[in-house]
Amino acid sequence: MNTGLQVRNLSVSVPTTSGQRLAVDNISFDLPKGKSIALVGESGSGKSLTAYALMRLLRAPVQIEGGEVVLNGELISNLTPQEFRKIRGGKIGMVYQDPMSALNPLMKIGKQIVESILAHSDIEKNAAKKRAIQLLQEVGIPAAEDSFNAYPFEFSGGMLQRVVIAMALSGNPEILIADEATTALDVTTQSRVLNLISQLAYDRGLSVLLITHDLGVAAQFADELVVMYAGKIVEYGEIRGIFSKPLHPYTQALLESRCDYTIDFTKPINTILGQPPKPENRTSGCAFAPRCKFKEDICESNDPRLESVLHRSVACLRVNEINALSGRE
Amino acid sequence: MSAQTAIQTTDLTKTYSGARGEVIALNKASFTVEQGKTLALVGESGSGKTTVARLVLGLVPPTDGEVSILGQEISKLKEREMRSLRRDIQVVQQNPYSQLNRRHTVKRIVETPLKAFKEGKPAERNDRIVEMLEAVGLDAAYLRRRPHELSGGQCQRVAIARALVLNPKILILDEAVSALDVSVRAQVLNLLKSLQRERNLTYLFITHDLGVARYIADDIAVMFRGKIVEKGSREEVFEIPKHHYTKNLISSVPLAEPQEKSTKPKTIANLPNPNPSDACAYRSRCERGQVETECVSKVLVPNSNKSHQWLCHFPLNERI
Amino acid sequence: MTTSTKKKGNVRVLTRISSIALFFILFAFIFAKFVSPYDPTELAVAPPFSSPSWAHFFGTDELGRDSFSRSLYGGRITVLISILAATVALFLGTIWGFAAGIFKGWLDEVLMRTADAMMAIPALLFALVCISGLGASFVSLTLVAGILLSPSTARMARSALLVEISTDYFTAGIASGLSRWKLIWNEVMPNVASQLLVQFSINAASAVMLEAALSFIGLGVQPPSASLGTLILQGYAKIYNSYWYVLFPSLLVVLIILLFNAIAENMRISMESDKSSS
Repeated sequence: MNTGLQVRNLSVSVPTTSGQRLAVDNISFDLPKGKSIALVGESGSGKSLTAYALMRLLRAPVQIEGGEVVLNGELISNLTPQEFRKIRGGKIGMVYQDPMSALNPLMKIGKQIVESILAHSDIEKNAAKKRAIQLLQEVGIPAAEDSFNAYPFEFSGGMLQRVVIAMALSGNPEILIADEATTALDVTTQSRVLNLISQLAYDRGLSVLLITHDLGVAAQFADELVVMYAGKIVEYGEIRGIFSKPLHPYTQALLESRCDYTIDFTKPINTILGQPPKPENRTSGCAFAPRCKFKEDICESNDPRLESVLHRSVACLRVNEINALSGRE
Repeated sequence: MSAQTAIQTTDLTKTYSGARGEVIALNKASFTVEQGKTLALVGESGSGKTTVARLVLGLVPPTDGEVSILGQEISKLKEREMRSLRRDIQVVQQNPYSQLNRRHTVKRIVETPLKAFKEGKPAERNDRIVEMLEAVGLDAAYLRRRPHELSGGQCQRVAIARALVLNPKILILDEAVSALDVSVRAQVLNLLKSLQRERNLTYLFITHDLGVARYIADDIAVMFRGKIVEKGSREEVFEIPKHHYTKNLISSVPLAEPQEKSTKPKTIANLPNPNPSDACAYRSRCERGQVETECVSKVLVPNSNKSHQWLCHFPLNERI
Repeated sequence: MTTSTKKKGNVRVLTRISSIALFFILFAFIFAKFVSPYDPTELAVAPPFSSPSWAHFFGTDELGRDSFSRSLYGGRITVLISILAATVALFLGTIWGFAAGIFKGWLDEVLMRTADAMMAIPALLFALVCISGLGASFVSLTLVAGILLSPSTARMARSALLVEISTDYFTAGIASGLSRWKLIWNEVMPNVASQLLVQFSINAASAVMLEAALSFIGLGVQPPSASLGTLILQGYAKIYNSYWYVLFPSLLVVLIILLFNAIAENMRISMESDKSSS
């Protein structure tokens, strides 16, 4: 049964000057088989922590405070560390931002991929080598047989990222997490690597969790969008709907403050002032209220919850008034 | 060259000798920036744009070619002579935190240039510093804070205040907004634009982000492997790009407008490495260049159409 | 409290305890005149080789002198030599390393290869040769130890300098119109000071070891002054009769070295945690 990934009520805390505080606050989302979700937010939104929490790569004092993760109908959040090691790099693969630090600079890349293959399957070394070469070809590395014996320093950034993707695929994953995987790459390389990830997802039926701050990347490569602010989900739904009519004031502000080559350069960019609150400074009420142009008293006293509006989830107490909705959508 | 020219470079070249032989970081770059205007240098890694910043700031000497700042040729100047010019040309760098000394207070950071040039008495300096901070949107309460207490955007504002405290004429912005969140980036870009208007500043804006370049610059120079492959006003470069690389750059940028997810094959192959012996460094990645033999052998000379210049044997001819 | 803040708290407590302990010991040494119960040169205050008692904490030596008092005075010499040697190493090493880092080029090569060469020579051998030539005295011991310890300080100073010079804020400083020298003095030095301090502490510990070793083979301070090393030498001969004669000065040497090292290590840990929290 392959029903994808379900995340329920995940919370992560970090140490701050006033003790342990939540940096990811009770978030839930679904990653259906074969679909891709973009987790979008600025710094401090908690998006990267979410990815690391799913892969159980957090180290004390940063820790998971609660929540469940279900993969294909089975609970994986209560597995022991040994059991989870089969999942990490196996059913769930991850691609990180900096390919240089994901690879061992002193080991040939072929050997590293073989290591990863052997950790997750029972085949013998020669078969693993063949698979590794196949993977290198699949990710578009030219002369795969020769590249097998090359060291990381011989590759450019874009090529290295492809090697990292090959490693992530070596465990035959069902889920691929890409954590700012193209942020450090040139824009021309980025588009090719993202195309590669899309193509691989399509060929292999992968689900992709794309973590990014770049709305353009989200728009071009994801089916659904999760917008995070100060550790919480503020808007979540099918991506085209959100882009054509964003409902949450933060999503609206994020879209209005972007600077791509289609905006009007004669006017100042319509942006919000201030910055997101740090975990130790978060109070009750809506975390975005201090910066929101639609703020009212209710926003500071009540915590917004995710509600279903226009076939998506939005966490805003005034969502209907702000968007002139009748409340029955 | 009129007195209105802030920066002018002629055939600026910089070569580094490294472990793997000589690397030509910058290859005969020539451009002009008029006072009060902004030129954006757009390029990816290895394009040479950072090298331009270091040369224009006089931090390293060029291997060949010339740089003039406000009419004065700087490549042969001694450090002492260069220092007096530094009053008029300042820099804001990419990383908000590392360009400020983590041990110093905001006040001391912004005061440093004033001290370096022995300007004003301490009381006058304090007024000037507060004035500068307010001009960048920070109030006097920030004077006693240190960089690690500030956000990235606030640090960048402090860096801008420091850069402007001497009232320079030219500001070099080296990826100055690249490390900032989207909303903060917009704030800082708005600030930079209004400061430019108020103080008639000249900006040399180095960036890899086309959208930012188009927003802030009057003129754009596109760089690839050390050469300026296209140069023109922002309208010319974005609406009628002549060089294939420019077009590729523009089309590679993912826009925040979701489209139908098509199943048609997309380009996934890795970009081929440029062949150093080709006359055109971009040839190996160019659709046209791969079929035309002239791109391999024929030396490139800039073609131009008044203000619009490009380095290509088979330039594009369409409006996009 | 989470585990890492606990660790940091432990580190701070340890540094504090180590520093206070060392401070007391140093205090006792410096004010030996007032602290020591007996005059160390006074003969026959008790029968020779008396075992440790309340009257004589460390017992007495072969001439009936109080060993505790002798240890205090001896410790003073040992510690003075080591701190002065570490100071010499600090100045010499910093100038050496900075010169290499600032001027680069062939000067850098020459200076650093010299440092490498010096570090390749066994310290004790080098010291032996120098002291034999110069004659053993307080001054010669201090200088030789200081010179021996400077190459490693130089290496550390040079790399700390190179790191700071390549930072963005150094570039910003140059662009602001500051001269390289002013920048190094005003901005770089404070940032490397804590690393230099750690090196100082490590050097002091090494100097104690070196001085004790040299004195043990008779090339330390000469009688009538006695450092801890000399005491160990004298007590070593009598080890079967009165083990306490050699035991206590040895323990003192070990303690001082441990304390210097503990201070250095804890300073280093708190520096690292400062860096990561900011």
